[in-house]
Amino acid sequence: MGAVHAKAPPSGTLRDSQPTGIKTTSTFAPKKDDNVIKLDIDKIPVRVQRIVVDGLTRTKDDIVIREIRPLLNAKTFDELVHLSYNAKVKMERLGVFKNVVIAIDVSKDNREYGYEVLFEVQEFRRIDGGIHTSISNNDGSLDFQLKMPNILGRGERFSLDYTVGTKRTHGYSAYFKKPLNNNPDIFFGSTAYQFHGEYPWSGYKQTDRGIAFDLTFPTILGSHNIQWEGVWRDLRALTRDTSFSVREQAGHSLKSSLKHTFTIDTRDDPILPTVGMLWRTSQVQFIFRKHFSVLDIETFFNFFYYNFPSYLGQIFQMSLAGGLMRTLDPVASVSISDRFFLGGPLTLRGFNLKGCGPHSHDNALGAESYWLAAAHLYSPLPFRPGKGRFGELFKTHFFVNAGNLGNLDFSGCSKSFLCRVCVKMRWSYGCGIVLCMGRIARLELNYVVPMRVQKGDKANPGLQFGIGIQFL
Amino acid sequence: MALVADALQATIGASEPWPDDVLLYQQYKAEQITLPDCAQCLAVEAFLRMCGLRFNVKYKTNAEEMSPSGKVPFIQAGPYLVSEFDPVVGFGFSLSSEMSDTDRSEMRAYMSMLENILGNAEVMIIIMIIMLMIMMIVTKPRYGCSYPWPLNWVLAWRKQRAVVARLTANDWASKTMEEVTEEVHTCCLALSEKLDKKKYFFGDNPTELDAQVYGHLYTLLTTKLPGGPFTSVIREFQNLAEFCKRVDSAYFSD
Repeated sequence: MGAVHAKAPPSGTLRDSQPTGIKTTSTFAPKKDDNVIKLDIDKIPVRVQRIVVDGLTRTKDDIVIREIRPLLNAKTFDELVHLSYNAKVKMERLGVFKNVVIAIDVSKDNREYGYEVLFEVQEFRRIDGGIHTSISNNDGSLDFQLKMPNILGRGERFSLDYTVGTKRTHGYSAYFKKPLNNNPDIFFGSTAYQFHGEYPWSGYKQTDRGIAFDLTFPTILGSHNIQWEGVWRDLRALTRDTSFSVREQAGHSLKSSLKHTFTIDTRDDPILPTVGMLWRTSQVQFIFRKHFSVLDIETFFNFFYYNFPSYLGQIFQMSLAGGLMRTLDPVASVSISDRFFLGGPLTLRGFNLKGCGPHSHDNALGAESYWLAAAHLYSPLPFRPGKGRFGELFKTHFFVNAGNLGNLDFSGCSKSFLCRVCVKMRWSYGCGIVLCMGRIARLELNYVVPMRVQKGDKANPGLQFGIGIQFL
Repeated sequence: MALVADALQATIGASEPWPDDVLLYQQYKAEQITLPDCAQCLAVEAFLRMCGLRFNVKYKTNAEEMSPSGKVPFIQAGPYLVSEFDPVVGFGFSLSSEMSDTDRSEMRAYMSMLENILGNAEVMIIIMIIMLMIMMIVTKPRYGCSYPWPLNWVLAWRKQRAVVARLTANDWASKTMEEVTEEVHTCCLALSEKLDKKKYFFGDNPTELDAQVYGHLYTLLTTKLPGGPFTSVIREFQNLAEFCKRVDSAYFSD
């Protein structure tokens, strides 16, 4: 009798809650008012007898079995629901299924406390494609993508991309990603690409053709990425007026580098975050004739704080960034395309794009080190028009930026070194409006007052418009 | 647009005195495998020396990519960059200003013949050499020393493709080596008859034609690379070989 008694209520309640699928939580008690039988689902004993996964065509069994095996250990009904939900979340993260729906039913052979779980899955299409726009550094581009998710049945992905940009940039790439040990967080990627870009601030254009292999894995602190890249770069002067110091670097070069990137990202939104932080450090070792020739370390720190009286909706942001490059091999030299540049409407506001630092005939030459700091105070629009709707996409902000760019001489003592880093500092302040365009880009219209400008810098006082993803 | 810029540059250049710090950029000769480029560099160098202009030669691996027209050699005179033989000649100094119009047009005709026949013949040799070089890269790393692997053979292959395209455009790609040798012979015969027993092609003073003939012939005569068939053709004309020696001792003796 116990079996009959147990059957009706749980299956009934589950049928009710089934369409929501994901919303399953531990508070699963049937409503008191319309049900006579009181059930405590924490206590209902369960023996999972069968798990059915429906809809697998290309996906290999072993990766699914791995995710659903814990369900067999469920002792109570509550545990079963929990474990099923976890299995669903894990399966969706594999990058194999479009959606996963769970159905729990009593077992057909009427065994005592016997249950069976049905996962209805829908796999991604074999070939998928799309066209989308992306924005970077005051440059928009149109990306055409053809992707083959789950190409080998274990969450592998292969994609082909073609990009055309507004500033005569274009490129192709092929990318293959394979999760290792069936864990979607640890994966191996390899890519082959060709990219042509023009860099008018330095007066050159460059075609890169390269291959790269990388390994991404998470740790307790953050995510690590180790990459080897081999790229053939063909640099040419952009116009006849290109400065000779840039023209001198024209030609073919081969760069082989080992890069390690460490990232912690706890921000709630990549474009207009309210709380969280982003810390990214990368170090690159250039390999030249079997030796490490150049060491390049760059770090980037962004911190957002949202703890003012919340009805005012103010957000405070602190940002720091710095980079340092050092040649270890006396024969090696750093190409202009590897150097650091400073300035732009989203980084060091009040200066033209890459408009700081050494120039030769209007062409920015870049430098081997830089630092940059910024503080922002964001508030909602005055009088809050469109509150709760489109008005939330806009914010006003006040900011102060400071930074410096230069070549460092490591032979001197550290004190004079620090002096030099600070003495030729540039800084500016201003205010403006920030618009968050979905998750694509951030638009800023600022009124900026550059306060300290060095000789050769291209300052841009007054109104300045910027669009992009990376900001400081 | 480029033509306007060239013309403008030439006029501006002409009004200024020859600066002291003129540099002639070209690729390293030891690794230089492109015979026509070598001939061009030598012709420009001979022209500048014949004009008595001061300059320094600067060797750069990437001279070809640095050049505004993508070809070597080029000169840097103050803020101006001028590449290839004709623009350099048009930059403001001339060896033919005192010649009559008939002589000058005759000189132009010879120069274009030279460019068409010997230029293409040199290109023909490159094809042979490049094929040889690709084979040699595998066994002899010496050829790849200016670029690391795999760039050395990628660039060689690209050069070969460009060279074949040039020959196809000139209808030379289908010619056999015998036909090319015949063309070279005709060209040398014409030059030899023009030179006759004179010191230079137009009398006692050198002209642009002399610079160019020297550039091409000297390159073909002295190349260590397998240019065999043409070297023997040129050697048949005694006065041309002597002419090369004469220019060499008069202008390149330092």
